[in-house]
Amino acid sequence: AFYHAKQYAPVYFMCAQIQMERMVISMQDPDMGIKLRNQRLLITVIPHAMTGADIVEWLIKKCSISDEEALHIGQIFVKYGYIYPLKEPRNLILKVDDSPYRFQMPYYWMSTRWPASELDYAIYLAKKNIRKQGELIEYEKECYNALHKRINHTWDFVVMQAREQLRASKQRRKADRIVLKCQEQAYWLVNRPPVSAELYKLITLTKNTLYLLKRTLTITLCEGLTRLCVCVCSYVKYCEQYQPHDPIMQGCLPSIPWITDDIMFWNMNFAVPTKLRVERWSFSFMELLNDPMGRKEFLTYLKKEFSAENLCFWQACEDVRHGETSKIPEKVDEVYKQFLTPGASRWVNIDSKTMEKTLEGLKRPHRFVLDDAQMHIYFLMKKDSYPRYLKSDLYKNLFARAIVPQETKKSVFPFMRRQRHSSPSPALATQAAEDDGKAKNSNSFKSNSGTASRR
Amino acid sequence: MGKDECKTMLDALNKVTACYRHLVIALGSTSDSQNLREELKKTRKKAQELAVANRTKLTALLKDKSISKDDRAEYERLWVLFTSSMELLDVDMKRSLEIGQDFPLKVPTRHLIQTGMTGSTTTVAARAMSVQNMKYEADANIDTVDLKELETEIAQVDQMMEEMEMKVQVAPWAVEAKQEAGAELKSTVSVGNSSVGVISICEEEPKETVEGETGLMKVFAGIIFTVVLLIAGILGYLVINL
Repeated sequence: AFYHAKQYAPVYFMCAQIQMERMVISMQDPDMGIKLRNQRLLITVIPHAMTGADIVEWLIKKCSISDEEALHIGQIFVKYGYIYPLKEPRNLILKVDDSPYRFQMPYYWMSTRWPASELDYAIYLAKKNIRKQGELIEYEKECYNALHKRINHTWDFVVMQAREQLRASKQRRKADRIVLKCQEQAYWLVNRPPVSAELYKLITLTKNTLYLLKRTLTITLCEGLTRLCVCVCSYVKYCEQYQPHDPIMQGCLPSIPWITDDIMFWNMNFAVPTKLRVERWSFSFMELLNDPMGRKEFLTYLKKEFSAENLCFWQACEDVRHGETSKIPEKVDEVYKQFLTPGASRWVNIDSKTMEKTLEGLKRPHRFVLDDAQMHIYFLMKKDSYPRYLKSDLYKNLFARAIVPQETKKSVFPFMRRQRHSSPSPALATQAAEDDGKAKNSNSFKSNSGTASRR
Repeated sequence: MGKDECKTMLDALNKVTACYRHLVIALGSTSDSQNLREELKKTRKKAQELAVANRTKLTALLKDKSISKDDRAEYERLWVLFTSSMELLDVDMKRSLEIGQDFPLKVPTRHLIQTGMTGSTTTVAARAMSVQNMKYEADANIDTVDLKELETEIAQVDQMMEEMEMKVQVAPWAVEAKQEAGAELKSTVSVGNSSVGVISICEEEPKETVEGETGLMKVFAGIIFTVVLLIAGILGYLVINL
């Protein structure tokens, strides 16, 4: 009943608890506290024992209350474990005679923050089992078996810890050992957990479900957040990398043609590339391949490495993919003869599985028949040749030779600047062309009206 | 082998946890002193070192995907032992913070609870630290200074336990213990090193406190009886010879 009452009125209980603790501390006062005697066991003498009568007398004096009230308050102290009896430990009542009592350790005080745990009780029962060599009382035997089933997964720990705690207590002198034993026993007598199996089954089930739930939620949340973070990070990285190359954000040198009407920007990248352009090749393999100059440079490098056929093969495949449909069979045949036949002049190294698949597909060639092989060679170049190219002397020299174009000089005098005029609108241009075309057609039509069409 | 190393480390952690609990129980009572506070601090730090070592070792072993099913079950069992030990340590640390705050030592009127425990805890601490004698070198105000450290250490342990729960996926209720009920009565080893005389512990603590004295009485009676016999024998010999 006590155990359940604690759960229903925790706030009131805690206030009462604090007051009781304060009172216990005031009982320790050397002048105004309770008179303490020595407890004499056969050889050992243990100090700090008091009689029930002493306790009641002190309470009457301290709180100026009647006998019955003092007895009642004293009973509460014993019931909640602040004071425990030494003669009949299982009988938690206060007797107003010379039966001895002692104070309980602060560690064992009733504290709602640290409720008695199953693990602790199991360890206590195991210790008692060792001490009494299996002679536990009926109630304790039931609890022991119930706990063994309930917390079976940690039973090894219970046994280990029980043994170690006994060994640790062996280190103290005999009197202290006796006191410790009595105190622990008193604590568990006050905190007897109920033996109801169903209630604990329910509690364990809820605990397990909550544990799993918490785990899954946290993992999903964590994963989701991590993925989002990774996404955002890579996006930020991309933006940072490409920002100097963006004409709107950074402006471009020599000058933006749309604004200054100066077409240097388009004409200058032929012989010697700009530093920005060369730098861009190092961002990704695709950037290198998309730039015709980059592709040419890469080919030069591969020729030195004797693996130029990879790039040629890749280019040929691109041609097949993006070229005319009617020319596909002959292109594919060409590719096969040059690159895939064993013993071909420019034989590319493809793994057997892909080769088999491609050869199968070659019987009925279509636009995407060389895709697998092309992908294989692409990744081969990307992983192998591309990083080496970026570290090679060829690339480094090119980067060193690359120029940073000068910004177009703006003439000092504003009236000397070239007039900005927009180029003719494309819409006007096409309309003009159409008008011209119509005129031409009508002329030719007139001239051809007599002859039959040859189409 | 990894398993034996693990078991030895777990044994050590278990020992230190038990000793730490023993020391925390003495807080606030007449056994409390500056020395006890220092012992608590040292034991606590040792426990944390062992805990981190254990955790690293066990997580490494559990993350290895190439171990056999039996091995994995064994490591999961060791993991559950480790987490239980950490639970006890965590609760004891929090309790020691609470009691330490409630019972400061450097106040004019000390009101330590007179519980009958008056001996020192040096031997327990020496057992925890695996040394012959404890050396005390702390300042006089260790009881207040240490509490702040204790708070941070508690936060660290809590965080470690949360991390452990998330990173290592061991369902505790799926682990089966090796010991059956009543295994502590046998003197066989549980994990790793041999237990030093479990039976001797039983013999040390006979049934009840009052009854414990009767054992000693029997020994006395025996001694007195032998002495009387000897005297009788000597007297008889003298009588015969004289």
